[in-house]
Amino acid sequence: MATSSVEPKTAISLSAPDGAAAPVPRSRGYWTSVLMRLRRDPVALAAGFVLLVIVLMALAAPLIAPADPYKTSMINRLKPIGTEGFLLGSDELGRDVLSRLIHGGRLSLFIGVVPVLIAFVIGSLIGIAAGFVGGRVNTAIMRTVDVFYAFPSVLLAIALAGALGAGVVNALVSLTIVFIPPIARVAESVTTQVRNFDFVDAARASGAGPITIIRVHILGNVLGPIFVYATSLISVSMILASGLSFLGLGARPPEPEWGLMLNTMRTTIYVNPWVAALPGAMIFITSISFNMLSDGLRSAMDVKL
Amino acid sequence: MTRPDRYLRRFCAVILATAGLSFTAVPASAESVLRIAMTSSDIPLTTGQPDSGFEGYRFLGYTIYDALVLWDLSSADKASGLTPGLAESWEVDPSDPRVWTFSLRRNVTFHDGSPWDADAAIWNLEKIYNENSPQFDARQAGNVRGRIPSMGEYDKVDDYTIRFTTTEPDAWFPYQLTFLLFSSPAQWEAVGRDWNAFASNPSGTGPFKLERLVPRERAELVPNPDYWDGNRVPKTDRVVLLPMPEANTRTAALLSGQVDWIEAPAPDAIPRMRSAGMTITSNPYPHTWPYQFSMLEGSPWRDINVRKAANLAVDRDGLNALLGGLMVPAVGIVTPDHPWFGNPGFEIRYDPDEARRLLAESGYGPGNPVNVKVLISTSGSGQMQPLAMNEYIQQNLRDVGINIEFEVLDWESLFPNWRRGAADPSSLGAHATNISFGWLDPFAAFYRFMHSSMAAPNGFNWGALSDPEYDRLLDLARSTFDTTEQDKVLAEFHAKMVDDAAWLMVAHDVGPRAMSPKVQGFVQAKNWFQDIAPVSIAP
Amino acid sequence: MLTYFSKRLLFMVPITLAVSLICFSLVHLSPGQPMDAVVSADAPAEVVELVRRAYGFDRPLPVQFGLWVQRAVQGDLGLSVATGRPVVLEVMGALKNTLILATAAALIGFPLGMLFGTLAGYFKGSLLDRLLTGIAVTGVSVPHYWLGMVLVIVFSVHLNMLPATGAGPGASTDWAFEAAYLRHLILPAVTLSVIPMGIMTRTIRAMVGEILAHDFVEALRAKGLPEWRVFLHVVKNAAPTALAVMGLQLGYLLGGSILVETVFSWPGTGMLLNNAIFRRDLPLLQGTILVLALFFLALNLLVDLAQTWLDPRIKRA
Repeated sequence: MATSSVEPKTAISLSAPDGAAAPVPRSRGYWTSVLMRLRRDPVALAAGFVLLVIVLMALAAPLIAPADPYKTSMINRLKPIGTEGFLLGSDELGRDVLSRLIHGGRLSLFIGVVPVLIAFVIGSLIGIAAGFVGGRVNTAIMRTVDVFYAFPSVLLAIALAGALGAGVVNALVSLTIVFIPPIARVAESVTTQVRNFDFVDAARASGAGPITIIRVHILGNVLGPIFVYATSLISVSMILASGLSFLGLGARPPEPEWGLMLNTMRTTIYVNPWVAALPGAMIFITSISFNMLSDGLRSAMDVKL
Repeated sequence: MTRPDRYLRRFCAVILATAGLSFTAVPASAESVLRIAMTSSDIPLTTGQPDSGFEGYRFLGYTIYDALVLWDLSSADKASGLTPGLAESWEVDPSDPRVWTFSLRRNVTFHDGSPWDADAAIWNLEKIYNENSPQFDARQAGNVRGRIPSMGEYDKVDDYTIRFTTTEPDAWFPYQLTFLLFSSPAQWEAVGRDWNAFASNPSGTGPFKLERLVPRERAELVPNPDYWDGNRVPKTDRVVLLPMPEANTRTAALLSGQVDWIEAPAPDAIPRMRSAGMTITSNPYPHTWPYQFSMLEGSPWRDINVRKAANLAVDRDGLNALLGGLMVPAVGIVTPDHPWFGNPGFEIRYDPDEARRLLAESGYGPGNPVNVKVLISTSGSGQMQPLAMNEYIQQNLRDVGINIEFEVLDWESLFPNWRRGAADPSSLGAHATNISFGWLDPFAAFYRFMHSSMAAPNGFNWGALSDPEYDRLLDLARSTFDTTEQDKVLAEFHAKMVDDAAWLMVAHDVGPRAMSPKVQGFVQAKNWFQDIAPVSIAP
Repeated sequence: MLTYFSKRLLFMVPITLAVSLICFSLVHLSPGQPMDAVVSADAPAEVVELVRRAYGFDRPLPVQFGLWVQRAVQGDLGLSVATGRPVVLEVMGALKNTLILATAAALIGFPLGMLFGTLAGYFKGSLLDRLLTGIAVTGVSVPHYWLGMVLVIVFSVHLNMLPATGAGPGASTDWAFEAAYLRHLILPAVTLSVIPMGIMTRTIRAMVGEILAHDFVEALRAKGLPEWRVFLHVVKNAAPTALAVMGLQLGYLLGGSILVETVFSWPGTGMLLNNAIFRRDLPLLQGTILVLALFFLALNLLVDLAQTWLDPRIKRA
């Protein structure tokens, strides 16, 4: 698992914008060029396309799923892949696996993506504040963040979820807590670098208030790299979130969720092995697509993390 | 690495071996060894009062230890009754039915050679009930005290007689005493007055001695050749007990010959095991898998038509097919062949039309279904296949017009809720709870669920069921010391309860076990406990 | 240098305390009754109360925390509620098995990762690079608990070549360096190894690419140095970071093994943690988390110090 990509490398280099005193360093033109570059990257494009399909499938699940994902049928238990009416087989309760995979995307994507989004907001706030204010405040905040680094992320997530008890909300909370420290660390490091760029000094010298400086100069330069870093965490988050469900600490039966499906169908691997493996394949495809998209975004935005 | 060449050679052997050469898992040995895979994740407590529920009693309770009163597990056909254990006989005082006198068995010794007598008995009671005694053990107390609700006082009359005074007259007291096992005081002294040390070096009076204990890995039992009941001296040289919580692991272990006997095989794997020549044993035992209804204000179950309709809506034969034939349809709390069953007028069967008619009678219909919420668990001891079974029932009931919404809890949350009752916030407003249970004795079968005094927090009357006639019959049975008479009262009670459709009766488990054909002489009693002493293993 | 080391060591004290506070509060945050592991959950309230008292769970939390830390300093993490055995013994036994698994995974993953990373970085942009990068991104994206299941399906269910679960024959809770045990190690170790393989490949590829782009490489080449000498330079420059990444990875393998251990019923810390969570065995739970966190912390410190030692250019506050 990409656990360690939670750990940012200490060296984060930002390419300083051309012209040290440029007032608004990253304009609309910059984002357009990022998009242009992304569109020339076939791997990222393909990954984005796959993700789009998965997301659309999840959103349109009730419309496109061939069967009710909760509908059990005792005579149709454990059908193999390719059975008539059960394209991807059926599970231990005779539910249609294809329909459950399509519906499962909703919860799996939700508990995989949302923690990173929340952590992105909270972690950025903490990190930017620490980086901008600097000094003792920075030290205090970052040392607190450091304490969470004493736990490998998987351990922290499982310990938190185990302590809070099973459930989707608790899994969300645990994962959010897991992802805040690394994002805060990246945000702090990037902000500290940007703060020392000449154009910030120039702005300060010209009498801009701290709010203006943060809004115009810091955010514009800082959010991009943090965002790229956060996108690289989504793949980890997907794996971890489904992992929690797999352990029985996330979604609860009979909800369709990929990790949970993997857990309940694990008992059937001697009877219906390949069907049991399908939910994991979904997690894998989603996770690798997020990783490739994030890689593409990173090179398109020329951020080195 | 003092001998690099030896390691190198070993390493080469390993490489060769993993390259696909065949392995023999078991070394040949003249000793006959019976290896059993249990479902617990650890070896149950070996100090006397086992944990891990009835499985603990089955394998590390009644093997190493004895109770004053034991279960007669020798028959597979009739319901198992009580038989004298460490007590040769007992009687209740006719003038004060709270007082019981037990005559202890003579010439019994613990595995360490020390004698069994009234002093040893009292010492063991102090271990459980006297917090100030040096031998008090909170873990053993926690495991057993809840199982003996009537225990009051106890004292020694003479060297081989002890006397109990129960808190109230209780004809079922001897049943409760089957849970109280006796450890050796002399051994506890010998290991330095330390229960943790005693656990790996225990001493009881049972047919087996514990020879080796590797926590979480294995317990090895050897016969006690001096066992007081000559008929129950074990026939195998060694029994190895292995904890294997995962059904797949147990199945694989049996098929690959790593064990000879597995508890609770996965139903889906049973055809595969049969085709591999394994023996599948099963026999109904005192176990019931019901929905226990809430009788609180606002619960639809307060309407007897709804209760009856639910009982008529469940296709128990279909459910049985789902479980691969590993259940018996329940038409009461106890099975119809049991002396407590009685002659109910209401026949629990599959009749969806009658169910719909009853619901219509109460004003429910297609546009106006009954809506109920049920607490269920994802797994749990004795819960069989809870999700599959519940979803099946959900479908059955929906067909007649009862919509069930499930609150799915883990077993560790559902079980404690049982005593807290339907009104407790942890019940989440549910109208029924789905907890299976064992009904070894009348208290466990009926009293704790249906006597009004057992409502939360006193017992397991989860739904606050309160019926003066139930209370009267149960009190009468509890104070009827003649067994035949008592059975009659219980049968009357049970019939009334079935007529009321007090619960949704669904299934009895049959306790499937899978064994290698080498295992011989096993008699699966209609009980939670089983006797492994007569089992032998063919070479 | 020495002051940096001692400062770093001194800094461990408050971190360790904070970590133990987190462990403790995490565990006591949980809603379940701490006695559920000992007392059957259907036990009457007075029995629960009795056992609570016997285990000291009736005391105020700060007192419990104080006592716990005080004993922990002396190497005593209390007794497991469920088994009555010392937590230290339970955790150390399990940690040994986890370390065996993690080491085996590292022995497979690190060399592969180094090889792949170096090749990919050296031939950046080539077909080989793309292939290896693809393998690496697969390694970091694959849910390893699923990979474990797939391997079991292929090698245990279909081919019947390797055991599906456990650390050894029977229900062995200990691993031994013997053929029968080694067979049990193969699948979980391979499963776990894809993580460090992927990460190492990605890190080293990036690093090698970066070093090759430096002016000094051009200069070396211009001087007419043979390519293998240039390569040696690259290796020399990449080594400290590679070492650090490997150290950290070893730590992350401890965490990553939790899910893999569950798939393979491997009797390590992951299984122990899982059992402790579901049995609400608080002393065992907090002890396991603490030991793992401290182990991880110590590993981080070692990596940090080693890196500073090897590469004095890195100066830290």
